[in-house]
Amino acid sequence: MGLLELLRKLKASPSHEIRVLLLGLDNAGKTTILKSLAGEEVSKVTPTQGFNIKSVKQEKWNLNVWDIGGQRNIRPYWRNYFENTDVLIYVIDSADRKRLDETGLELTELLEEEKLQGVPLLIFANKQDLLSAAPPGEIADSLGLNDIRTRTWQIQACSAMSGEGLEHGMNWVLKTCSKPK
Amino acid sequence: MLLKRFLLRYYPPGIILEYEQAKQIKTKSIDLLELSPETDIDSLLDDISRREPLITPNRMGQVRQLIIKLQTKLSKKDDHKFYLFKVLRAHILPLTNVAFNKSGSSFITGSYDRTCKVWDTASGEELHTLEGHRNVVYAIAFNNPYGDKIATGSFDKTCKLWSSEDGKCHHTYRGHTAEIVCLAFNPQSTLIATGSMDHTAKIWDVEKGTEVRTLSGHTAEIISLSFNTTGSHIITGSFDHTVALWDVHAGRQVHTLIGHRGEISSAQFNFDSSLVVTASMDKTCKLWDVRNGQCVGTFSGHEDEILDVVFDSTGQHIASASADSTARVYNAVTQACVTKLEGHEGEISKVTFNSQGTQILTASADKTARLWDPVTGQNLQVLEGHTDEIFSCSYNYEGNIIITGSKDNTCRIWR
Repeated sequence: MGLLELLRKLKASPSHEIRVLLLGLDNAGKTTILKSLAGEEVSKVTPTQGFNIKSVKQEKWNLNVWDIGGQRNIRPYWRNYFENTDVLIYVIDSADRKRLDETGLELTELLEEEKLQGVPLLIFANKQDLLSAAPPGEIADSLGLNDIRTRTWQIQACSAMSGEGLEHGMNWVLKTCSKPK
Repeated sequence: MLLKRFLLRYYPPGIILEYEQAKQIKTKSIDLLELSPETDIDSLLDDISRREPLITPNRMGQVRQLIIKLQTKLSKKDDHKFYLFKVLRAHILPLTNVAFNKSGSSFITGSYDRTCKVWDTASGEELHTLEGHRNVVYAIAFNNPYGDKIATGSFDKTCKLWSSEDGKCHHTYRGHTAEIVCLAFNPQSTLIATGSMDHTAKIWDVEKGTEVRTLSGHTAEIISLSFNTTGSHIITGSFDHTVALWDVHAGRQVHTLIGHRGEISSAQFNFDSSLVVTASMDKTCKLWDVRNGQCVGTFSGHEDEILDVVFDSTGQHIASASADSTARVYNAVTQACVTKLEGHEGEISKVTFNSQGTQILTASADKTARLWDPVTGQNLQVLEGHTDEIFSCSYNYEGNIIITGSKDNTCRIWR
């Protein structure tokens, strides 16, 4: 990747590129989703201390996906990465019911950010393969998604480990972004 | 004109003359870029006395001693082995760039955590945290050779000037409309130049904290910028595939170096500022004549994008680093490829010579930095330990300390 490549990725995306920002609490499964999208091995994933960037080809599109670490001490730095975002993907650990409130608060703050105004939002309700996972409807209620009026959004149940649901979500991303902005 | 005293400059070799003219102290330098331990002193002295009226016959003995001193330094055998001295873990997000002050007593690191930190090289202790930017601190510089000031350029679109002694912010320069990604002090330390993703470069006054002028003309992001040795000119390299040469005081574009077929990744003057070398995503490096802006040579051979290019301190050699995981060394005079540096297992994003020109340091996405012999191409050492890719690296002036900055949030000191 290198610093220079980071600058190239920072530029406003050309028409066939989509810049995707992947956020969510620590242990939500962002890096596993990123690796799964890139067709990489997902068994060995460690907490992200900074960020990971991967380019994913889908149809004629080149998705530049930025996966940003979600630990509490580095969440204030999420805004470093807001510029030129085309789609925000917010990942939730559906089985971590104790932190549904916390993740809801973080999401509310994100949606108030000026630089993310109008940016389409995809929620991945991840870890649906776990028995204790909350269903997407319950998560949508808990996050108050139905009150969102100023952007298009979608919630998608998925399992990053098995890959189930990811394709559906990404299809929504492509469909949403290929509409004229 | 009255000669007051001599000063030695080791890298690149030269003798600085301090003299008085019309009651003002001035300096000029006799550059000895081709000096080697084998150079014949007598003929060199003849040559100097013919060229330099300040050096009268009664000063020749002194000059001879100085040249012997330079030659002794040049002939010192360099078999220093580096080991990991300290791992600095104070940044909580990936590092961007790193830089030493001239003496090497301290260095600075920029980070995605929006700070720049000032470190004591000998102890590895953190001296100051420069806080105030609202986004990534990307470009950083000491005002060498003085080293009392630090400039930081940020994705928050501002540049800040700090005291390296107490860590206080003197000025915040506002005016760019996008991320600042490169910057440099002029050699006199009176000006700072910044290059930005907003397609412009700006020049700022160090003392007053004001904008001096904007250099407009590029049609895409400026990602590389440097002053020539006297500070009279600047080159800016851009994603628009061109490099522009600017007259600093007139604010005028003197030449546009046109010929690359891809984004520019790096551009640099040689020491006597007669040539510029440029690297591009088009897999070539080019050499340009500063006087007329014409391309005088193209180095091809790399199989992928070239990410960095540098001259050694005398301007005799050029090293290029590529995404093809090799680096190459070229002779700047004959333009021949001297050697190929092979061994990295990932793209090489930075390459640099030590001041002596006797060693090359490369930083790679394979998490290692490596040392090379620039003549034989032999790999001398692999600096292992980082757990993610290395973004930046630097030698100190003496060439016996190395710092590396990585995406793994650490900076490592090797000595």
